[in-house]
Amino acid sequence: MSDNKNDYADLLELSEFYILSQKYEEAIKILKKAQKLNNRDPKLYYNFGIAYEALNDRDKAINMFRQALSLDAKFKAAQEHLDRLIKG
Amino acid sequence: MKQFVVIGLGRFGTSISRALTAKNFEVLAIDRNEERVKEIEGIVSQAVVVDATDEKALKELGIKDFDTAIVSIGENIEDSIMVTLLLKELGLKQVIVKAHNDLHAKILQKVGADRIVFPEKEMGEKIAESLASPRIFDYIELSTEYGILEIITPKKFCDKTLSELKLREKFGVSVMAIKRKMPYTKADGSPDFKEEIIVGPGGSDEILQGDVLVLLGKYKDLNKIENL
Repeated sequence: MSDNKNDYADLLELSEFYILSQKYEEAIKILKKAQKLNNRDPKLYYNFGIAYEALNDRDKAINMFRQALSLDAKFKAAQEHLDRLIKG
Repeated sequence: MKQFVVIGLGRFGTSISRALTAKNFEVLAIDRNEERVKEIEGIVSQAVVVDATDEKALKELGIKDFDTAIVSIGENIEDSIMVTLLLKELGLKQVIVKAHNDLHAKILQKVGADRIVFPEKEMGEKIAESLASPRIFDYIELSTEYGILEIITPKKFCDKTLSELKLREKFGVSVMAIKRKMPYTKADGSPDFKEEIIVGPGGSDEILQGDVLVLLGKYKDLNKIENL
């Protein structure tokens, strides 16, 4: 279990590395792997949302930010991105 | 500085008043409905309750000294026509009027409107366009032949420089700008991005995943890129 936790944290970090390197499709692949280990982390869905938004996939990004907010209703950054996407 | 008078404070009139004020223009906002005037009071330079079909009241407000009037009377087509006519008779240089249908537009043209807008129709067409082609963000017609297209980068363009892509030679279009989301790490360690615009990119500029290209060209050439 603790191994899983570490693996998950590593994958999440790796997804952030890919996002920062503007390799969004690669980030999404890593996030899908991470999701298999933990599908209850709002940060996972936030990172998904960021990667999809960066790829201009509005519908998927909205869906991901909504999932992040369903797990953490006070997730400010996710709310800000969601508002921008819906109003834009 | 340009001065605007906005007549009719429904959704359209109110949003124009706010937008012009945000651009630091002087705006006089008028409606016969007191509640609507109250809502915008304190936001625009001046807001007054006046019946704009009353010629005397318009004169007293010094309407003719304004540069542009925007007539956005929603509910009553007859009033919108009458106000347009009055404003032109009072000598206003530019009168922009919101029209509800083609017949309304035709009459407005006859009574001297300088510009007629169909916000619902125009917005409807834009939304339909974006639903039909989700990769297209915006389309601006420059002439019957040329336009500007804002489009999500086709996959095959990614990770190549503009000189490698040779868009002008191969497709006859010029890249005016690249809109790019620049990622960064926030104070709490999570990723985010801000949008940057590379204006007039050069041959050595590389196209990246997620870039939006602003292209100028003939419609037939822009269509080819659209269909890639």
